[in-house]
Amino acid sequence: MSQMNKMMNCKDYKEALTADPGFEDESGHVDSCASCQAYSAEILALDEKIAAAMAIDVPVLTMPDLPNIDTEKVVPLIARRSMPKPAWFALAATVLLAVFVGIRTSDMGAPSGTLAEQVLAHVDHEPMALRVTSVSVTDARLAEVVPDNLAEMNHDAGLITYAQSCIINGKSIPHLVIQGEYGPVTILLLPDEKVDAATTLDGVNIQGVILPVGNGSIAIIGSREEQLDRIKQNVLDSVTWST
Amino acid sequence: MDMFRYAAWLSRDKSIAEDVVQEALLRAWKSLDALRDDAAAKPWLLTIVRRENARYFERRRLETVDIDNLTASQSALLAEAPNEELNDLRQAIYELDDDYREPLVLQVLMGYSTNEIAELMGLKQGAVLTRLHRARLKLKEEAASEELS
Repeated sequence: MSQMNKMMNCKDYKEALTADPGFEDESGHVDSCASCQAYSAEILALDEKIAAAMAIDVPVLTMPDLPNIDTEKVVPLIARRSMPKPAWFALAATVLLAVFVGIRTSDMGAPSGTLAEQVLAHVDHEPMALRVTSVSVTDARLAEVVPDNLAEMNHDAGLITYAQSCIINGKSIPHLVIQGEYGPVTILLLPDEKVDAATTLDGVNIQGVILPVGNGSIAIIGSREEQLDRIKQNVLDSVTWST
Repeated sequence: MDMFRYAAWLSRDKSIAEDVVQEALLRAWKSLDALRDDAAAKPWLLTIVRRENARYFERRRLETVDIDNLTASQSALLAEAPNEELNDLRQAIYELDDDYREPLVLQVLMGYSTNEIAELMGLKQGAVLTRLHRARLKLKEEAASEELS
C-alpha cells in the first residue's frame, strides 16, 4: 500500500477507502482534497449503517451442558433438529472461549474408525493448519516435527507452511501442510501405518489418497480442484523413512 | 454472538445459523486439542463455522436463496431492523452475492483485516479488496436509490 500512497490521487484514494475504510492515506492526499474528505465521511457513515444493519438480534444465551468429548455420544445434526430447540446454541463465543482456555489440558484420546476416516477427521478438525500463506516453516521446526530417527525430509515436496506433531491411531505423527495450486495440501507421514494399496480419500470438498510407502504410508489431502498426482510424486521423492 | 451473526449472514437463514453454530461448537469441543494457540481461537472457531455452513448446504443440496420466496426463518433475518433505512440496507446486504457478503461481514462485523479475510477465505488479498470495493459500491448505490425514491 505504501507504493499506492506515493502515487495517490482521488481515484486511487476512493478505491482504497471503499475496499477498506480503515485505509490510512500516508501520502497526505486527503488532507488537501475536499472531495476525498467528503467521500471519506460518506463511506465511514455508510459503514456505521452497515454495521448496524448486520447486528441482528441473537437469541437469549444459555450455557449448555457440554457433552463428554466422545464422538460416539455426539447426536447427529438431523436428529437434533427434530428435538425441541434449546437456546443454548447461541451461547456467546466469549463464554465458549473461556471454557476452551480452561480445559486446554483435556485428554481427548484416540479417535475410532478406519485409518482413512481418522485421516479425514484429523484434517477436518485442524482447520487452522490450512492457511494460505507464503511463509515457510523453518528447517529447525521441520526437523523437530520430522526427527531424523523417523524420516528424512527435504523441502522438495513444496512450500511447507505448517508442521506439527499430531496423534493418529494413538501414535504421534508429523502433520505437514504445503501450498498447492488451489490452496493448502495436507501431508500426514504415517511410518507405522502399513497399507497394502493406495486408498482414495473422499471428504467434503476435499480429496486425497493414502499411499503405501515401505512399512508405512503417507496421506495427501487437498481441495477437489488440486492436481494431486504431481504433488504425490514430489512428496514421495522428498521423504525417506529412517527405519 | 459473533459466531451466530457470522453464520446467519453466511446462510441468510437464522434457523440454519442455529444448526450451524450448534454443530460448529460441538466440533470445536471435540477437536479442542487442535487449538494450540489461544490467540487463534476466534479465527479457528469462525473457520469451523464456515466449514459447517458449507457442509450443511452440501449435505442438503440446498438451492440458492430465492429472494422473492423467502421462508419464515429467512425472513426473520430481515424483520428486525429498527427503522426503514436500516431495513433497506439489511435487505441490500441480504441480496449481495455470497462472494461479496462474506468478506464484508468479516470486515465490518468481525473487525478482520483484509489480510485476515484472505487467509480465512483462501483468497489473495487483492481479490478480497476487489470484492469489498464492489460490495460497498453496491450498497452505496442501493442507499442512494432508496433516498431518491
